[in-house]
Amino acid sequence: MALRSAQGDGHTSSRWDGGAGKTDFDAKRKKKVAEIHQALNSDPTDVAALRRLAISEGGLLTDEIRRKVWPKLLNVNSSEPPPVPEQNLRQMSKDYQQVLLDVRRSLRRFPPGCLPCSSASLPAPRPPTGMPEEQREGLQEELIDIILLVLERNPQLHYYQGYHDIVVTFLLVVGKRLATSLVEKLSTHHVRDFMDPTMDNTKHILNYLMPIIDQVNPELHDFMQSAEVGTIFALSWLITWFGHVLSDFRHVVRLYDFFLACHPLMPIYFAAVIVLYREQEVLDCDCDMASVHHLLSQIPQDLPYETLISRAGDLFVQFPPSELARKAAAHQQAEKTAASTFKDFELVSAQQRPDMVLRQRFRGLLRPEDRTKDVLTKPRTNRFVKLAVMGLTVALGAAALAVVKSALEWAPKFQLQLFP
Amino acid sequence: LHNVFKSDFLFKFLVIGNAGTGKSCLLHQFIEKKFKDDSNHTIGVEFGSKIINVGGKYVKLQIWDTAGQERFRSVTRSYYRGAAGALLVYDITSRETYNALTNWLTDARMLASQNIVIILCGNKKDLDADREVTFLEASRFAQENELMFLETSALTGENVEEAFVQCARKILNKIESGELDPERMGSGIQYGDAALRQLRSPRRTQAPNAQECGC
Repeated sequence: MALRSAQGDGHTSSRWDGGAGKTDFDAKRKKKVAEIHQALNSDPTDVAALRRLAISEGGLLTDEIRRKVWPKLLNVNSSEPPPVPEQNLRQMSKDYQQVLLDVRRSLRRFPPGCLPCSSASLPAPRPPTGMPEEQREGLQEELIDIILLVLERNPQLHYYQGYHDIVVTFLLVVGKRLATSLVEKLSTHHVRDFMDPTMDNTKHILNYLMPIIDQVNPELHDFMQSAEVGTIFALSWLITWFGHVLSDFRHVVRLYDFFLACHPLMPIYFAAVIVLYREQEVLDCDCDMASVHHLLSQIPQDLPYETLISRAGDLFVQFPPSELARKAAAHQQAEKTAASTFKDFELVSAQQRPDMVLRQRFRGLLRPEDRTKDVLTKPRTNRFVKLAVMGLTVALGAAALAVVKSALEWAPKFQLQLFP
Repeated sequence: LHNVFKSDFLFKFLVIGNAGTGKSCLLHQFIEKKFKDDSNHTIGVEFGSKIINVGGKYVKLQIWDTAGQERFRSVTRSYYRGAAGALLVYDITSRETYNALTNWLTDARMLASQNIVIILCGNKKDLDADREVTFLEASRFAQENELMFLETSALTGENVEEAFVQCARKILNKIESGELDPERMGSGIQYGDAALRQLRSPRRTQAPNAQECGC
């Protein structure tokens, strides 16, 4: 497979030099590339280092590196042959019509000058204005094939509008062959909950959003609660890993570096960080659902991604899911019956399986007096602390390693059965 | 959004119907007067608003555009509450989207306000060659279910503004005839600021200051 740096190398990097001189920046970048290759070449591969490098400033830098590192982050053996369909999926699949409909109108996801390695055989003078139609159509066909194949091999998974936004990102970076394996792994792990028959678990994960905001900025939280804005403005962010809403493909892949290296709940922390970053705009907005929903659902395209990524990491370390689980559950209390709340607790617990401490907190959760206390006492101060960058990447890298290693065997449905 | 202060009424509207029928394109055409040729699927709900003049009254429409895929219904349903009007959209080139209308209708009548005014929109009128649902058939359905009916084209803009305006006009008529009471909770209707000033003045005469959240 011919490897070609797809796009954006120079641009991506210019964002993370933080105003430092060009030489300084080149040196930094060179050093990072060397570190990545060192981690890749060590035997066994140093996945912990790769995670840290994917999280830290600039992420994985180029699509060429991503093609090598993403499989490692997902624990996929890239030399294994990809799965092949056994039958004509387009005739068999119940999802075909919906997939076709969504893929056909996903033109925006095929940006100009973005050439994945699978198409490297085409003579490809990079057009200034957009991907050539013929090439885009070829990729759309591949996109449909990948989606139908993964669905066919995993009948427990259900297609949702937005799934193809995730799959297309992989297709454009790693090409069809590898994308199939990576997407299958991702679909049975990180995005598993979004592919349930219903959206209950997706909504549950969205319930983490407000507690995170509350931890950092109670004023903003209260304003949003008064506006009754809910969390649906963040739904498309969460279930597409921001692929649906960011127009610049370089930003999308940078975020994918980050999310692939982290706990499956990291996208909701990142969503919270975006809302927090826009505090002033939100508070300046009319305090009603329509205004706030409208403001927040229009995501600004010039966000300082590196800063926000590091903040999301800080938040994750300071307010880990275990802590938020209690608050998320408390948020739901009013509207939920005891039985379904208990189911939420189970789910929450399942999501944090790797950490025994969390198990203990989970047990604490079931004591009703704790829950009441939780509803009544609310921190009134801004508890967000900026961690040193080094501290963060090390802490998060380590945390991510511990958590995600097990998260790769993360299967809420199965786990639920432990708590009948 | 700032023009809210000039409107006499605020109506909450929904746009509902199967995936791919052109709901977002109708909304875009209505607001921007343009066809959105790179429109993609809607996840959850999106929002748009516009002030229209109906028989001398300024009405601000607050429009919630919903995702069409079945699995999103549990999310979008919560936005139905208190809607005063709805565009129920199908695609004239797809019988499947037409067959689903009854389900959408049941949801809307059950979850929005009791008196919700619904206009049925047979969209993609420009694709007449591929038509699978005749005008006659759909207008019978509309009549049986007490819906207004138009065939629209988000591509050419034909009947798009009309759909929103006709729906708003019917709501206004109902208000004037006393059939609808804007004061009733969950009617999906609010007095706009212009009307408020006349009706119950001092309460909100100054522009609502965003910093001071009074809700």
